[in-house]
Amino acid sequence: MNLFKLLIGVSVLLMGCNNAADDYIGLPTPVNFEVPANFPEPNYDFSANPLTEEGIALGKALFYDGQLSSTGVVSCGFCHEQSFSFTHHGHTISHGVNGEEGFRNTQPLHNLAFYKEFTWDGAALHLDLQPIIPITSEVEMNETIPSVLSKLQADPKYLYMFEAAFGSDSITSGRMLKALSQFMLQMVSANSRYDAYMRKEGEQLTPEELEGASLFKAKCASCHMGELFTDQKYRNNGLPLNSNFPEEEGRMRASGFSDDFYKFRVPSLRNVALSYPYMHDGRFGSLEAVLDFYTDGMVDNGNVDPLLKRDDGSFGINLSASEKTNIIHFLKTLTDYEFIQDERFSEF
Amino acid sequence: MKVLNYMAIAMMAVALVACDSDDNTNTELTGEGTTRIEFDNSYSGSDLLLQTAFYSANGTEKIVIDTLKYIVSNIQLETEDGTLFTVPEDASIFIVNEADEDSRFITIENVPAADYVKVHYGIGVDQDKYLQGADGQGDFLNQATAQGMMWSWQAGYKFIRFEGRFTAEAQPEETAFAIHMGSHGSSLDNYKEVTVNLPVSAKVRTDITPEIHVVADVSQLLSGEDKLYLEEKSQIHVDPDKSPKVATNASKMFTVDHVHN
Repeated sequence: MNLFKLLIGVSVLLMGCNNAADDYIGLPTPVNFEVPANFPEPNYDFSANPLTEEGIALGKALFYDGQLSSTGVVSCGFCHEQSFSFTHHGHTISHGVNGEEGFRNTQPLHNLAFYKEFTWDGAALHLDLQPIIPITSEVEMNETIPSVLSKLQADPKYLYMFEAAFGSDSITSGRMLKALSQFMLQMVSANSRYDAYMRKEGEQLTPEELEGASLFKAKCASCHMGELFTDQKYRNNGLPLNSNFPEEEGRMRASGFSDDFYKFRVPSLRNVALSYPYMHDGRFGSLEAVLDFYTDGMVDNGNVDPLLKRDDGSFGINLSASEKTNIIHFLKTLTDYEFIQDERFSEF
Repeated sequence: MKVLNYMAIAMMAVALVACDSDDNTNTELTGEGTTRIEFDNSYSGSDLLLQTAFYSANGTEKIVIDTLKYIVSNIQLETEDGTLFTVPEDASIFIVNEADEDSRFITIENVPAADYVKVHYGIGVDQDKYLQGADGQGDFLNQATAQGMMWSWQAGYKFIRFEGRFTAEAQPEETAFAIHMGSHGSSLDNYKEVTVNLPVSAKVRTDITPEIHVVADVSQLLSGEDKLYLEEKSQIHVDPDKSPKVATNASKMFTVDHVHN
């Protein structure tokens, strides 16, 4: 009986091999990208990389595969944890291979189809190209693209998955990056209570949340604007310089221009209650600390955004204690619990 | 017999026409051929020797060059009457590496037979290519990362890697220099187009593979139109003032020495 089972098992295995090697693999199944009703048009050119079930599945396998790093253990998902809106929970700055540390806080991953540039300083001009940075950075995954490809080429699972997604088992950097994009493009977070309220799906916000929303609109939305809650611009928000990272220059690192010193991309506030700690270096542990900074902690570091200047010439935003509380109530309505539990994105 | 004679004469005439066709207008040529472009790196008229030879920069600094690599892309060939042949984009991007002889010869296939008098190309990667995402990069990405022609902290190419050591009067101790020039995200586009004129036309035919011998005078990188003193700054990476100067100097360092037909 056991032998019989074994034989069946072996023959299934053999059939599996056969399929991968010789048989016709059907065309990948297209996946439609749905733009939430309250969202802007996507920026990503889907015609250059049409979403398919097989492409997304491959992207997911790659996203959670430690082989993309030199030590074999640090995957993309290592720092981008779904439960925390794909941030590195408990870390001010992110850890890479061999306990190496970078000097910036992991950014959340959601709604990437709608962005024009990526990373805190805009060092990637296209979503497809962004993964090159963490893969090759010495303090993140410390690998090279050719080395990653040769590891994938030696893994039969990937020969099959690349063929299923792209029609042949040729494993190239372009295909790898496209698959990663496909997986990440799927990560649309648009089902918070705020969204349901905006789309009039029967959700009500409390009086405190509504008060917070109108304060937010008046005091915060000139930068955290629109349904993405960011204008996607780079701004210096008057943070005291972090003496632990004297090399930090903000966007100046990518542009070279001194005007860009300590400017960072205005982050989206979707899922912000989950993505603590805050700022490029994760210096603030709570939303309360962030708002306290905006009322009392800003300094003139030489290049502060004029939008943050008060009438008396000092820097900051005027908010009372109760206003802060209400703004935080509102910010918590931006948490999308469906997103962080969505099995399409989860590692296991 | 007579028929055969006539045929022989006719064939000779065809052969003569074929030989003659160099003087005819390009429109009469048919078929495709291959051409090769050699990038011969030199320093002020002398052969460039890596790691051992000393060269003078701006008359005040003495340098040894350890690494010279640059990206050549978007190659076009132009005929006398201005007809352009554009090499397909994915077959038109190369890294010229002084340390690897093969990399200095670029072979271009499927070129329409014609007499070409100019070559156009870019130094670096144009902004459009970045915006095409994975499609725009193809397998060049692998080459570039393998050759250290990408930064690890930004998803961008180094258009030129020029590294070595130098001494100057005020800096007698040998000091490392590194010039890595590329575009700065969406802020600064350092891609430059280059046009070189050929002293004699490159006659591409189905059976003639001309070789265009381009000389790059690397001394221009520091001592060209925009003078760059290593003493002033020996590490030029994302420098919005000096990187564009490197780009301009690089775009002016090329001439065509000769063409083999």
